Amino acid sequence: MGSAHSVPAEMRELADRTGFTSEQIEHLHRRFKQLSQDQLTIRKENFDSIPDLEFNPIRGKIVHAFFDKRNLRQESDGLADEINFEDFLTIMSYFRPIEMNMDEEQLDRFRKEKLKFLFHMYDSDHDGKITLQEYRNVVEELLSGNPHLEKESARSIADGAMMEAASICVGQMGPDQVYEGITFEDFLKMWQGIDIETKMHVRFLNMETIAHCY
Amino acid sequence: MRCNFRDMEHECVVILPAQHYCEKGCVRREGSEKKYQRKMFEDSFPPAGIVQREEASMEEAIAGHCQGCFNLADVMYFSKKGCEAVAEDEVTQRFSSEELVSWNLLSRTNADLHHVSWQLTIVWVVGILIRYCLLVPFRVYITLFCEQLHRNENVCMSISYRIKCWLSNQVQMICATLGVRCVGGLVHFHNRENKPRGGGICVANHTSPLDVLILASDGCYSLVGQAHGGLLGLIQKSCMQTSQHVLFERSEMKDRHLVRKKIREHIADKAKLPILIFPEGTCINNTSVMMFKKGSFEVGGTIHPVAIKYDPRFADAFWNSTKYSMMTYAFNVMTSWAIVCNVWYLPPMIKEEEEDAVHFANRVKAVIAARGGMSVLPWDGGLKRKKVKESFKEEQQKKYCQIVTENGSVGNRNVC
Repeated sequence: MGSAHSVPAEMRELADRTGFTSEQIEHLHRRFKQLSQDQLTIRKENFDSIPDLEFNPIRGKIVHAFFDKRNLRQESDGLADEINFEDFLTIMSYFRPIEMNMDEEQLDRFRKEKLKFLFHMYDSDHDGKITLQEYRNVVEELLSGNPHLEKESARSIADGAMMEAASICVGQMGPDQVYEGITFEDFLKMWQGIDIETKMHVRFLNMETIAHCY
Repeated sequence: MRCNFRDMEHECVVILPAQHYCEKGCVRREGSEKKYQRKMFEDSFPPAGIVQREEASMEEAIAGHCQGCFNLADVMYFSKKGCEAVAEDEVTQRFSSEELVSWNLLSRTNADLHHVSWQLTIVWVVGILIRYCLLVPFRVYITLFCEQLHRNENVCMSISYRIKCWLSNQVQMICATLGVRCVGGLVHFHNRENKPRGGGICVANHTSPLDVLILASDGCYSLVGQAHGGLLGLIQKSCMQTSQHVLFERSEMKDRHLVRKKIREHIADKAKLPILIFPEGTCINNTSVMMFKKGSFEVGGTIHPVAIKYDPRFADAFWNSTKYSMMTYAFNVMTSWAIVCNVWYLPPMIKEEEEDAVHFANRVKAVIAARGGMSVLPWDGGLKRKKVKESFKEEQQKKYCQIVTENGSVGNRNVC
């Protein structure tokens, strides 16, 4: 019959890097082919065919995150035009739940990666800082559905949040000091002690069946 | 950003069986040889997906910590939902062929061909020889014969009208039966006492144009459907010469009103043939029943639901019109093992007085899905071709706003 679609060695390498099992990878590969309509790469337009995603207020940012080169573990910056299956898996792996057998260092790295993903979602101009304007953008996107909520209210929520962030990161500021933006270190500080793992994971089922029934 | 989160769930990887099996006779062992039996498809549950979604609603997930307050972490909830949607969604999988638990020796249903064992390869090659060298020529011969018969149907103009009608109906049914044999069809009809009669509307779930052929082999109907081009268009044209069918263009609004009017007129006359309508509006892959369009349920009249379920082990009957043309589909069907299906005629249903058309449509849909062993989805089959309406997205955003802003106003403690 035909040759295997992915060579086992490549599959193992993918599995090691992303943490998915080989059966999960096969399943996600089928999903990838469905989204890409049997092409080798996915473009932004391919995400238009997912009805569930249309419901999401930050849909634009999520799709953007898939093409963000910073998330694809490449040293370069900017947006990719299309992503292949490996990149697709890489982004999905950010949402994996933590595993029982992880040690302290792995846990810490894992958490940092998730927070970095979130940071990139806020930092839309790729300058390494979440400015007040970027924060306002996110809040406005989330709250844009409410016709009664004016832009001013969304703005004041964002402003309040930035002030809070500034006080955590920089402490008391003088009247003429300007807070430029939340850097990634400040972002980490904000999340210290708060459990994000349960909020930001998707339960990928283990596809290996061990059920016996008679 | 100081806030107390409530722990939502345990942080453990849950190992669950990825598929539920029926009670008797399903054994699946790990290893290089996976052999198992499956009971009749009616008792099997659809395979679970790769993502386990939380039962909690948006309110519970977000507002767990404090009501009326915006939190940076709310973005996490939406990004998680986004990732889940990308990994898997209920709707788009219905527009492609069903994934099979066990391979049915048709290479088209095995997406990732890989070598399992040389014995299986031999069996597969023998299967190819049987299908392409034995079954196909036989089926092509019957198709040609059937087409000849159909063309000569309008002969004998001198017989009286009533006899001519009866004769025409009989010949149509014979042609349809032959047509079913052309594609290697083996159909089991159940509850024939509920067969639709004149003046009624027959509704069924839609998987492919074969549905029409199968139903036509057991009774005569007036069809309502989308006008096609190509091979299917030719078949439709030839059918139009012998009976009254209503063909329309899906995208034409004017056409829809006209169709409704014609249906009303048709069912008012009890002597006319029952109308056959597929309310889903498009082909779905036979694992679920999608939204029934309310048009046919508004005109009044008796609804005769019919459930059609194909056995996926012998062939993939689903016509993916975005991927395959009619010719390719016909070739695929002819080179499969067989088209085995069950057709259940369900008791007639009438719209109650206080009931609205949408509710009635859902009621009929539930009955059909239950009988056929398919799941029910509220989504519109039209999503195959169109995008989701903006209004749905806005609903979700409104919901989130309500959680965050507490009765529409921005309070002092809006950030936590």
